[in-house]
Amino acid sequence: MEEQKTLFVDYSKCIGCETCEAVCRFLYDTPRIAMSRTIDGEIVPLYCQHCEKAACQKVCKRGAISRDGDGAVLHNAMKCRGCETKDCLIACPYAAFFATCKGVAVAKCDLCKKRRAEGMQPACVEMCPCDAIKYVDRNSVERLKTEASEEAFKRVMAHIRPKKFVD
Amino acid sequence: MVSLSVHSGVMNFGFLQTDSAPAIERSVGIIGAGPSGLAAAGLLASQGYEVHVYDKLPKPGGLMVFGIPSHRIPVDRINRGVRDLERRLGVTFRTNTKICCSAPMHEEEGDHFAADILSLSDLTDNHDAVVVCSGSWKSRRLTIEGSSLDGVYSSLQFLFPIRAIKYAHSNVSMPDVSGKKVVVIGAGHSAVDVVDSARTLGAESISLVYRRTAAEAPCGKFEIDRIQEMGVSWLEKRSPEVIQGVNRVEKLIVRNSLTDELEEMEADVVVSAIGEIPTPPFQKELGLENVRKGDVRWLNMTAMDNVFVAGDVLTGPSKIGKAVYSGLRAVRSLTNWLDLKAQSRENEYNFEADKISR
Repeated sequence: MEEQKTLFVDYSKCIGCETCEAVCRFLYDTPRIAMSRTIDGEIVPLYCQHCEKAACQKVCKRGAISRDGDGAVLHNAMKCRGCETKDCLIACPYAAFFATCKGVAVAKCDLCKKRRAEGMQPACVEMCPCDAIKYVDRNSVERLKTEASEEAFKRVMAHIRPKKFVD
Repeated sequence: MVSLSVHSGVMNFGFLQTDSAPAIERSVGIIGAGPSGLAAAGLLASQGYEVHVYDKLPKPGGLMVFGIPSHRIPVDRINRGVRDLERRLGVTFRTNTKICCSAPMHEEEGDHFAADILSLSDLTDNHDAVVVCSGSWKSRRLTIEGSSLDGVYSSLQFLFPIRAIKYAHSNVSMPDVSGKKVVVIGAGHSAVDVVDSARTLGAESISLVYRRTAAEAPCGKFEIDRIQEMGVSWLEKRSPEVIQGVNRVEKLIVRNSLTDELEEMEADVVVSAIGEIPTPPFQKELGLENVRKGDVRWLNMTAMDNVFVAGDVLTGPSKIGKAVYSGLRAVRSLTNWLDLKAQSRENEYNFEADKISR
Protein backbone atom coordinates (compact mmCIF):
# COMPACT_ATOMS: atom_id res chain seq x y z
CA MET A 1 0.00 0.00 0.00
CA GLU A 2 1.13 3.55 -0.76
CA GLU A 3 1.32 6.31 1.84
CA GLN A 4 -1.47 6.11 4.36
CA LYS A 5 -2.55 9.40 5.80
CA THR A 6 -3.94 9.97 9.25
CA LEU A 7 -4.37 12.64 11.90
CA PHE A 8 -2.20 12.84 14.97
CA VAL A 9 -3.24 14.98 17.92
CA ASP A 10 -0.48 15.79 20.38
CA TYR A 11 -2.59 16.03 23.53
CA SER A 12 0.30 17.58 25.43
CA LYS A 13 0.19 20.60 23.09
CA CYS A 14 -3.60 20.83 22.96
CA ILE A 15 -5.11 23.54 25.16
CA GLY A 16 -8.71 22.40 24.67
CA CYS A 17 -9.74 25.56 22.82
CA GLU A 18 -12.33 23.82 20.60
CA THR A 19 -11.17 25.42 17.35
CA CYS A 20 -10.89 22.03 15.60
CA GLU A 21 -14.45 21.16 16.53
CA ALA A 22 -15.68 24.63 15.54
CA VAL A 23 -14.28 24.61 11.99
CA CYS A 24 -15.41 21.00 11.52
CA ARG A 25 -18.92 22.00 12.61
CA PHE A 26 -18.89 24.99 10.28
CA LEU A 27 -18.01 22.73 7.34
CA TYR A 28 -20.04 19.61 8.13
CA ASP A 29 -22.74 20.58 10.64
CA THR A 30 -22.13 17.53 12.84
CA PRO A 31 -18.49 17.84 13.89
CA ARG A 32 -16.36 14.76 13.32
CA ILE A 33 -13.76 15.80 15.88
CA ALA A 34 -15.43 16.48 19.19
CA MET A 35 -14.44 17.89 22.54
CA SER A 36 -14.78 15.85 25.69
CA ARG A 37 -14.07 16.85 29.28
CA THR A 38 -12.32 14.19 31.32
CA ILE A 39 -13.21 13.59 34.93
CA ASP A 40 -10.03 15.49 35.86
CA GLY A 41 -11.19 18.46 33.82
CA GLU A 42 -8.89 18.19 30.82
CA ILE A 43 -10.70 19.23 27.67
CA VAL A 44 -9.62 17.14 24.69
CA PRO A 45 -10.74 16.47 21.12
CA LEU A 46 -11.71 12.88 20.27
CA TYR A 47 -10.90 11.98 16.67
CA CYS A 48 -10.61 9.20 14.11
CA GLN A 49 -7.12 7.77 13.78
CA HIS A 50 -7.91 5.98 10.50
CA CYS A 51 -6.61 2.73 12.02
CA GLU A 52 -4.55 0.39 9.89
CA LYS A 53 -6.91 -2.41 10.93
CA ALA A 54 -10.11 -0.49 11.36
CA ALA A 55 -12.51 -2.14 13.81
CA CYS A 56 -15.43 -0.12 12.42
CA GLN A 57 -14.79 -1.52 8.95
CA LYS A 58 -14.67 -5.04 10.32
CA VAL A 59 -17.95 -4.87 12.22
CA CYS A 60 -20.09 -3.06 9.66
CA LYS A 61 -22.45 -5.66 8.18
CA ARG A 62 -23.39 -3.53 5.20
CA GLY A 63 -19.88 -2.85 4.03
CA ALA A 64 -20.46 0.88 4.42
CA ILE A 65 -16.95 1.57 5.70
CA SER A 66 -14.12 1.59 3.19
CA ARG A 67 -10.66 3.04 2.71
CA ASP A 68 -9.70 5.50 0.00
CA GLY A 69 -6.43 5.92 -1.89
CA ASP A 70 -4.93 8.22 0.76
CA GLY A 71 -5.71 5.71 3.50
CA ALA A 72 -8.69 7.59 4.94
CA VAL A 73 -11.39 5.39 6.45
CA LEU A 74 -14.64 6.57 4.88
CA HIS A 75 -18.26 6.13 5.80
CA ASN A 76 -20.57 5.60 2.84
CA ALA A 77 -24.02 6.99 3.62
CA MET A 78 -25.56 5.22 0.60
CA LYS A 79 -24.73 1.81 2.01
CA CYS A 80 -25.19 2.65 5.68
CA ARG A 81 -28.92 3.39 5.91
CA GLY A 82 -28.52 3.73 9.68
CA CYS A 83 -28.72 0.41 11.46
CA GLU A 84 -30.01 0.38 15.02
CA THR A 85 -27.12 -1.59 16.45
CA LYS A 86 -24.55 1.08 15.56
CA ASP A 87 -21.78 -1.50 15.74
CA CYS A 88 -19.28 0.93 14.22
CA LEU A 89 -19.89 3.46 16.95
CA ILE A 90 -19.38 0.84 19.64
CA ALA A 91 -16.38 -0.80 17.99
CA CYS A 92 -14.35 2.39 17.58
CA PRO A 93 -11.61 2.41 20.23
CA TYR A 94 -11.27 6.20 20.04
CA ALA A 95 -14.94 7.20 20.31
CA ALA A 96 -14.71 8.85 16.92
CA PHE A 97 -18.12 7.96 15.47
CA PHE A 98 -20.83 10.47 16.17
CA ALA A 99 -24.55 9.80 16.12
CA THR A 100 -26.28 12.60 14.25
CA CYS A 101 -29.96 11.92 15.04
CA LYS A 102 -30.60 13.10 11.49
CA GLY A 103 -30.97 11.51 8.06
CA VAL A 104 -27.51 10.00 7.90
CA ALA A 105 -27.23 8.18 11.21
CA VAL A 106 -23.53 8.53 11.96
CA ALA A 107 -20.79 10.97 11.10
CA LYS A 108 -17.08 10.32 11.02
CA CYS A 109 -13.93 12.05 9.85
CA ASP A 110 -13.02 11.60 6.18
CA LEU A 111 -9.82 13.65 6.50
CA CYS A 112 -11.72 16.41 4.67
CA LYS A 113 -12.10 14.42 1.46
CA LYS A 114 -13.26 17.35 -0.65
CA ARG A 115 -10.50 19.59 0.63
CA ARG A 116 -7.89 16.93 -0.13
CA ALA A 117 -9.22 16.75 -3.68
CA GLU A 118 -8.32 20.42 -3.99
CA GLY A 119 -4.91 20.04 -2.45
CA MET A 120 -5.87 21.36 0.97
CA GLN A 121 -5.26 19.86 4.40
CA PRO A 122 -8.03 18.91 6.82
CA ALA A 123 -9.55 22.10 8.25
CA CYS A 124 -8.82 21.24 11.89
CA VAL A 125 -5.11 20.90 11.07
CA GLU A 126 -5.04 24.27 9.32
CA MET A 127 -6.82 26.18 12.08
CA CYS A 128 -5.42 24.67 15.29
CA PRO A 129 -3.81 27.64 17.10
CA CYS A 130 -1.37 25.35 18.92
CA ASP A 131 -0.04 23.20 16.08
CA ALA A 132 -1.34 20.21 18.02
CA ILE A 133 -3.01 18.41 15.07
CA LYS A 134 -0.90 16.97 12.28
CA TYR A 135 -1.95 15.48 8.95
CA VAL A 136 0.74 12.88 8.35
CA ASP A 137 1.71 9.54 6.94
CA ARG A 138 0.95 6.82 9.46
CA ASN A 139 4.59 5.74 9.47
CA SER A 140 5.72 9.12 10.78
CA VAL A 141 3.30 9.15 13.75
CA GLU A 142 5.83 7.25 15.88
CA ARG A 143 8.38 10.02 15.32
CA LEU A 144 5.92 12.69 16.43
CA LYS A 145 5.27 11.03 19.77
CA THR A 146 7.03 12.41 22.82
CA GLU A 147 7.04 11.39 26.43
CA ALA A 148 4.60 14.19 27.20
CA SER A 149 2.29 13.33 24.31
CA GLU A 150 2.19 9.66 25.32
CA GLU A 151 1.39 10.55 28.94
CA ALA A 152 -1.41 12.82 27.80
CA PHE A 153 -2.70 10.20 25.35
CA LYS A 154 -2.88 7.65 28.16
CA ARG A 155 -5.04 10.03 30.18
CA VAL A 156 -7.39 10.44 27.22
CA MET A 157 -7.62 6.66 26.75
CA ALA A 158 -8.32 6.17 30.45
CA HIS A 159 -11.17 8.61 29.94
CA ILE A 160 -12.75 6.89 26.92
CA ARG A 161 -11.86 3.28 27.83
CA PRO A 162 -11.94 3.36 31.64
CA LYS A 163 -12.15 -0.39 32.29
CA LYS A 164 -9.08 -1.33 30.37
CA PHE A 165 -6.82 1.42 31.60
CA VAL A 166 -7.77 2.12 35.21
CA ASP A 167 -5.48 0.22 37.54
CA MET B 1 5.47 13.61 0.81
CA VAL B 2 4.78 15.23 4.13
CA SER B 3 7.62 17.27 5.44
CA LEU B 4 7.86 17.26 9.18
CA SER B 5 8.52 20.93 9.63
CA VAL B 6 10.24 22.03 12.81
CA HIS B 7 8.48 25.36 13.02
CA SER B 8 4.96 25.57 14.29
CA GLY B 9 3.37 26.20 10.90
CA VAL B 10 0.59 28.61 10.08
CA MET B 11 -2.76 29.14 11.72
CA ASN B 12 -4.49 29.34 8.38
CA PHE B 13 -7.38 31.76 8.85
CA GLY B 14 -8.04 31.58 5.12
CA PHE B 15 -8.44 27.82 5.38
CA LEU B 16 -11.46 27.62 3.12
CA GLN B 17 -9.63 28.25 -0.12
CA THR B 18 -6.12 27.86 -1.44
CA ASP B 19 -6.38 30.66 -4.00
CA SER B 20 -8.36 33.77 -3.35
CA ALA B 21 -11.44 34.19 -5.48
CA PRO B 22 -11.53 36.99 -8.05
CA ALA B 23 -12.06 40.33 -6.35
CA ILE B 24 -15.62 41.51 -6.00
CA GLU B 25 -16.61 45.11 -5.52
CA ARG B 26 -17.35 44.83 -1.84
CA SER B 27 -15.49 45.99 1.19
CA VAL B 28 -15.95 44.96 4.82
CA GLY B 29 -14.47 46.52 7.94
CA ILE B 30 -13.78 44.25 10.89
CA ILE B 31 -13.30 45.65 14.39
CA GLY B 32 -10.92 43.45 16.34
CA ALA B 33 -8.18 41.10 15.18
CA GLY B 34 -8.75 38.28 17.65
CA PRO B 35 -9.84 34.75 16.73
CA SER B 36 -13.33 35.70 15.56
CA GLY B 37 -12.17 38.77 13.62
CA LEU B 38 -9.35 36.87 11.93
CA ALA B 39 -11.57 33.89 11.03
CA ALA B 40 -14.14 36.34 9.64
CA ALA B 41 -11.42 38.11 7.66
CA GLY B 42 -10.14 34.84 6.23
CA LEU B 43 -13.55 33.70 5.05
CA LEU B 44 -14.45 37.08 3.50
CA ALA B 45 -11.09 37.55 1.81
CA SER B 46 -11.13 34.08 0.30
CA GLN B 47 -14.47 34.99 -1.27
CA GLY B 48 -12.94 38.02 -2.95
CA TYR B 49 -14.02 40.70 -0.50
CA GLU B 50 -11.77 43.63 0.29
CA VAL B 51 -11.16 43.36 4.02
CA HIS B 52 -9.84 45.92 6.49
CA VAL B 53 -9.22 44.82 10.05
CA TYR B 54 -8.94 47.45 12.80
CA ASP B 55 -7.37 46.71 16.16
CA LYS B 56 -6.42 48.93 19.09
CA LEU B 57 -3.30 46.89 19.81
CA PRO B 58 0.04 47.13 17.98
CA LYS B 59 -0.32 43.62 16.60
CA PRO B 60 -3.14 41.37 15.41
CA GLY B 61 -4.00 38.21 17.35
CA GLY B 62 -6.05 39.53 20.27
CA LEU B 63 -5.96 37.50 23.44
CA MET B 64 -4.23 34.63 21.58
CA VAL B 65 -1.19 36.92 21.50
CA PHE B 66 -1.76 39.35 24.38
CA GLY B 67 -3.54 37.24 26.97
CA ILE B 68 -2.83 33.52 26.76
CA PRO B 69 0.79 32.79 27.76
CA SER B 70 3.17 31.87 24.94
CA HIS B 71 3.87 28.40 26.32
CA ARG B 72 0.28 27.53 25.43
CA ILE B 73 -0.03 29.11 21.99
CA PRO B 74 3.04 29.52 19.73
CA VAL B 75 2.87 33.20 18.77
CA ASP B 76 4.80 32.58 15.55
CA ARG B 77 2.00 30.40 14.30
CA ILE B 78 -0.51 33.23 14.77
CA ASN B 79 1.90 35.76 13.23
CA ARG B 80 2.40 33.61 10.16
CA GLY B 81 -1.37 33.25 9.84
CA VAL B 82 -1.77 37.01 9.91
CA ARG B 83 1.01 37.46 7.34
CA ASP B 84 -0.72 34.90 5.12
CA LEU B 85 -3.96 36.90 5.36
CA GLU B 86 -2.05 40.01 4.27
CA ARG B 87 0.04 38.56 1.49
CA ARG B 88 -2.06 35.76 0.04
CA LEU B 89 -5.51 37.17 0.65
CA GLY B 90 -4.81 40.89 0.59
CA VAL B 91 -6.29 41.73 4.00
CA THR B 92 -5.30 45.18 5.29
CA PHE B 93 -4.58 45.57 9.00
CA ARG B 94 -4.86 48.89 10.80
CA THR B 95 -3.33 48.39 14.20
CA ASN B 96 -3.18 50.94 17.05
CA THR B 97 -6.60 52.05 15.90
CA LYS B 98 -9.58 52.13 18.22
CA ILE B 99 -13.10 52.45 16.93
CA CYS B 100 -14.54 54.83 19.39
CA CYS B 101 -17.49 54.69 21.42
CA SER B 102 -19.58 56.29 24.07
CA ALA B 103 -17.58 54.74 26.92
CA PRO B 104 -14.56 56.65 28.18
CA MET B 105 -11.17 55.57 26.90
CA HIS B 106 -8.60 53.77 29.06
CA GLU B 107 -11.23 51.72 30.79
CA GLU B 108 -10.22 48.50 29.12
CA GLU B 109 -6.91 46.72 29.00
CA GLY B 110 -4.80 47.78 26.03
CA ASP B 111 -6.54 51.11 25.29
CA HIS B 112 -3.34 53.07 25.76
CA PHE B 113 -1.94 51.55 22.58
CA ALA B 114 -4.58 53.24 20.44
CA ALA B 115 -2.93 56.08 18.55
CA ASP B 116 -5.67 56.59 16.01
CA ILE B 117 -9.34 56.89 16.82
CA LEU B 118 -12.13 56.37 14.32
CA SER B 119 -15.87 56.45 14.76
CA LEU B 120 -18.27 53.73 13.73
CA SER B 121 -19.68 56.00 11.03
CA ASP B 122 -16.18 56.36 9.53
CA LEU B 123 -16.39 52.61 9.02
CA THR B 124 -19.99 52.33 7.82
CA ASP B 125 -19.30 55.17 5.33
CA ASN B 126 -16.26 53.45 3.90
CA HIS B 127 -17.37 49.82 3.88
CA ASP B 128 -20.36 47.89 2.60
CA ALA B 129 -20.63 46.17 5.95
CA VAL B 130 -18.94 46.09 9.37
CA VAL B 131 -18.36 43.18 11.75
CA VAL B 132 -17.81 44.03 15.42
CA CYS B 133 -15.50 41.40 16.97
CA SER B 134 -14.06 43.46 19.78
CA GLY B 135 -14.03 40.75 22.43
CA SER B 136 -14.10 41.06 26.20
CA TRP B 137 -11.28 43.24 27.43
CA LYS B 138 -12.38 44.26 30.86
CA SER B 139 -11.85 42.05 33.87
CA ARG B 140 -14.50 41.69 36.49
CA ARG B 141 -13.08 43.48 39.53
CA LEU B 142 -13.27 42.54 43.16
CA THR B 143 -15.64 44.72 45.09
CA ILE B 144 -14.47 43.87 48.59
CA GLU B 145 -12.84 46.46 50.83
CA GLY B 146 -9.25 47.20 49.87
CA SER B 147 -9.67 46.21 46.22
CA SER B 148 -8.19 49.49 45.04
CA LEU B 149 -4.94 49.16 47.02
CA ASP B 150 -1.68 49.00 45.09
CA GLY B 151 -0.70 45.44 44.35
CA VAL B 152 -4.24 44.30 43.58
CA TYR B 153 -4.64 43.26 39.95
CA SER B 154 -7.30 41.73 37.74
CA SER B 155 -6.17 38.78 35.63
CA LEU B 156 -5.95 40.83 32.42
CA GLN B 157 -4.18 43.69 34.19
CA PHE B 158 -1.64 41.13 35.28
CA LEU B 159 -1.31 39.05 32.09
CA PHE B 160 -1.58 41.74 29.42
CA PRO B 161 1.61 43.71 30.24
CA ILE B 162 3.69 40.51 30.28
CA ARG B 163 2.93 40.04 26.60
CA ALA B 164 2.64 43.72 25.65
CA ILE B 165 5.92 44.88 27.16
CA LYS B 166 7.91 43.97 24.06
CA TYR B 167 6.06 46.69 22.18
CA ALA B 168 7.90 49.09 24.48
CA HIS B 169 5.24 51.46 25.60
CA SER B 170 5.83 53.83 28.46
CA ASN B 171 2.41 53.09 29.92
CA VAL B 172 3.02 49.37 30.22
CA SER B 173 4.94 48.02 33.15
CA MET B 174 5.48 44.41 34.14
CA PRO B 175 3.82 43.30 37.35
CA ASP B 176 6.60 43.15 39.93
CA VAL B 177 6.29 39.79 41.64
CA SER B 178 9.91 38.73 41.98
CA GLY B 179 10.47 37.44 45.51
CA LYS B 180 6.91 38.31 46.48
CA LYS B 181 3.96 36.46 47.96
CA VAL B 182 1.26 36.19 45.32
CA VAL B 183 -2.35 35.21 46.02
CA VAL B 184 -4.58 34.40 43.06
CA ILE B 185 -8.36 34.34 43.44
CA GLY B 186 -10.38 32.07 41.13
CA ALA B 187 -9.93 28.68 39.50
CA GLY B 188 -10.54 29.19 35.81
CA HIS B 189 -8.00 28.97 33.02
CA SER B 190 -6.89 32.57 33.47
CA ALA B 191 -6.22 31.90 37.16
CA VAL B 192 -3.93 29.04 36.11
CA ASP B 193 -2.27 31.29 33.51
CA VAL B 194 -1.65 33.91 36.19
CA VAL B 195 -0.11 31.25 38.45
CA ASP B 196 2.18 30.00 35.67
CA SER B 197 3.24 33.54 34.78
CA ALA B 198 3.83 34.55 38.41
CA ARG B 199 6.05 31.51 38.78
CA THR B 200 8.03 32.38 35.63
CA LEU B 201 8.46 35.93 36.97
CA GLY B 202 10.01 34.56 40.17
CA ALA B 203 7.31 34.87 42.81
CA GLU B 204 8.46 33.65 46.22
CA SER B 205 5.21 31.87 47.00
CA ILE B 206 1.91 31.44 45.18
CA SER B 207 -1.48 30.52 46.63
CA LEU B 208 -4.70 29.90 44.77
CA VAL B 209 -7.91 30.70 46.61
CA TYR B 210 -11.22 29.31 45.38
CA ARG B 211 -14.68 29.53 46.91
CA ARG B 212 -15.72 26.01 45.87
CA THR B 213 -13.89 22.66 45.63
CA ALA B 214 -11.31 21.28 43.20
CA ALA B 215 -13.97 19.06 41.67
CA GLU B 216 -15.97 22.15 40.71
CA ALA B 217 -13.06 24.26 39.47
CA PRO B 218 -13.51 25.28 35.81
CA CYS B 219 -9.82 24.67 35.11
CA GLY B 220 -10.20 21.03 36.21
CA LYS B 221 -8.48 18.89 38.78
CA PHE B 222 -5.65 17.95 36.43
CA GLU B 223 -4.43 21.56 36.28
CA ILE B 224 -4.81 21.96 40.05
CA ASP B 225 -2.73 18.82 40.66
CA ARG B 226 -0.13 20.15 38.22
CA ILE B 227 0.28 23.52 39.91
CA GLN B 228 0.31 21.92 43.35
CA GLU B 229 3.19 19.76 42.19
CA MET B 230 4.98 23.00 41.28
CA GLY B 231 4.61 24.07 44.91
CA VAL B 232 1.54 26.28 44.67
CA SER B 233 -0.76 26.09 47.69
CA TRP B 234 -4.36 25.33 46.82
CA LEU B 235 -6.93 26.73 49.24
CA GLU B 236 -10.46 25.71 48.44
CA LYS B 237 -13.77 26.63 50.04
CA ARG B 238 -12.49 30.10 50.81
CA SER B 239 -13.99 33.41 49.78
CA PRO B 240 -12.13 36.72 49.93
CA GLU B 241 -13.56 39.06 52.57
CA VAL B 242 -11.25 42.05 52.78
CA ILE B 243 -7.83 43.18 51.60
CA GLN B 244 -5.78 44.99 54.20
CA GLY B 245 -2.75 47.21 53.95
CA VAL B 246 -1.39 50.73 54.23
CA ASN B 247 -1.14 52.13 50.69
CA ARG B 248 -0.45 48.70 49.28
CA VAL B 249 -1.73 45.23 49.92
CA GLU B 250 -0.32 43.41 52.94
CA LYS B 251 -2.94 40.85 53.84
CA LEU B 252 -5.91 39.08 52.36
CA ILE B 253 -8.62 37.91 54.76
CA VAL B 254 -10.62 34.94 53.53
CA ARG B 255 -13.60 33.14 54.99
CA ASN B 256 -13.30 29.38 55.20
CA SER B 257 -16.79 28.15 54.40
CA LEU B 258 -16.25 24.80 56.12
CA THR B 259 -15.38 26.27 59.51
CA ASP B 260 -16.95 29.69 58.88
CA GLU B 261 -13.79 31.19 60.35
CA LEU B 262 -11.77 34.06 58.98
CA GLU B 263 -8.22 33.27 57.91
CA GLU B 264 -5.41 35.69 57.34
CA MET B 265 -3.03 35.35 54.42
CA GLU B 266 0.08 37.43 53.93
CA ALA B 267 0.17 38.85 50.42
CA ASP B 268 2.28 41.33 48.45
CA VAL B 269 0.25 40.87 45.30
CA VAL B 270 -3.40 39.82 44.92
CA VAL B 271 -4.71 38.88 41.48
CA SER B 272 -8.42 38.33 40.98
CA ALA B 273 -9.11 36.01 38.06
CA ILE B 274 -12.87 35.96 38.28
CA GLY B 275 -13.84 36.48 34.65
CA GLU B 276 -13.95 39.10 31.95
CA ILE B 277 -16.75 41.35 30.78
CA PRO B 278 -17.55 42.01 27.09
CA THR B 279 -16.60 45.49 25.99
CA PRO B 280 -18.96 46.37 23.18
CA PRO B 281 -18.66 49.78 21.68
CA PHE B 282 -22.09 51.32 21.05
CA GLN B 283 -23.92 48.71 23.15
CA LYS B 284 -27.22 50.60 22.93
CA GLU B 285 -27.02 51.86 19.36
CA LEU B 286 -26.38 48.32 18.16
CA GLY B 287 -29.09 46.77 20.34
CA LEU B 288 -26.72 44.01 21.39
CA GLU B 289 -29.07 42.86 24.15
CA ASN B 290 -31.57 41.79 21.47
CA VAL B 291 -28.89 40.08 19.37
CA ARG B 292 -27.90 38.08 22.45
CA LYS B 293 -31.45 36.96 22.99
CA GLY B 294 -31.67 35.97 19.33
CA ASP B 295 -34.37 38.60 18.90
CA VAL B 296 -33.17 39.82 15.49
CA ARG B 297 -34.36 39.60 11.93
CA TRP B 298 -31.02 38.55 10.56
CA LEU B 299 -28.45 36.22 12.16
CA ASN B 300 -25.76 38.20 13.97
CA MET B 301 -26.95 41.52 12.53
CA THR B 302 -27.29 44.39 14.98
CA ALA B 303 -29.96 47.07 15.12
CA MET B 304 -27.96 48.92 12.44
CA ASP B 305 -28.24 47.64 8.89
CA ASN B 306 -24.95 46.25 7.57
CA VAL B 307 -23.39 46.09 11.04
CA PHE B 308 -22.84 42.55 12.31
CA VAL B 309 -21.40 41.25 15.56
CA ALA B 310 -19.51 38.07 16.50
CA GLY B 311 -17.39 36.46 19.17
CA ASP B 312 -16.91 37.19 22.84
CA VAL B 313 -18.29 40.72 22.56
CA LEU B 314 -21.64 39.03 21.94
CA THR B 315 -21.41 35.93 24.10
CA GLY B 316 -19.16 37.03 26.91
CA PRO B 317 -15.80 35.36 27.50
CA SER B 318 -15.81 31.92 25.90
CA LYS B 319 -13.19 29.95 24.01
CA ILE B 320 -11.14 30.44 20.85
CA GLY B 321 -13.21 27.81 19.05
CA LYS B 322 -16.53 29.44 19.92
CA ALA B 323 -15.22 32.83 18.79
CA VAL B 324 -14.00 31.34 15.50
CA TYR B 325 -17.35 29.66 14.87
CA SER B 326 -19.23 32.82 15.68
CA GLY B 327 -17.03 34.84 13.29
CA LEU B 328 -17.56 32.35 10.47
CA ARG B 329 -21.32 32.23 11.00
CA ALA B 330 -21.58 36.02 11.13
CA VAL B 331 -19.72 36.29 7.83
CA ARG B 332 -21.94 33.71 6.16
CA SER B 333 -24.92 35.70 7.36
CA LEU B 334 -23.34 38.97 6.20
CA THR B 335 -22.59 37.72 2.69
CA ASN B 336 -26.12 36.32 2.37
CA TRP B 337 -27.50 39.66 3.47
CA LEU B 338 -25.45 41.65 0.94
CA ASP B 339 -26.26 39.17 -1.85
CA LEU B 340 -30.00 39.19 -1.24
CA LYS B 341 -30.06 42.93 -0.64
CA ALA B 342 -28.33 43.56 -3.95
CA GLN B 343 -31.31 41.89 -5.60
CA SER B 344 -33.87 43.43 -3.21
CA ARG B 345 -34.79 39.94 -2.00
CA GLU B 346 -34.07 40.39 1.73
CA ASN B 347 -37.50 39.06 2.64
CA GLU B 348 -36.55 35.66 1.25
CA TYR B 349 -34.12 35.20 4.12
CA ASN B 350 -35.04 32.22 6.28
CA PHE B 351 -33.98 33.20 9.78
CA GLU B 352 -35.38 30.08 11.42
CA ALA B 353 -33.29 27.82 9.18
CA ASP B 354 -30.15 29.85 9.77
CA LYS B 355 -30.54 30.16 13.52
CA ILE B 356 -27.88 28.51 15.62
CA SER B 357 -29.73 25.87 17.55
CA ARG B 358 -26.73 24.23 19.16
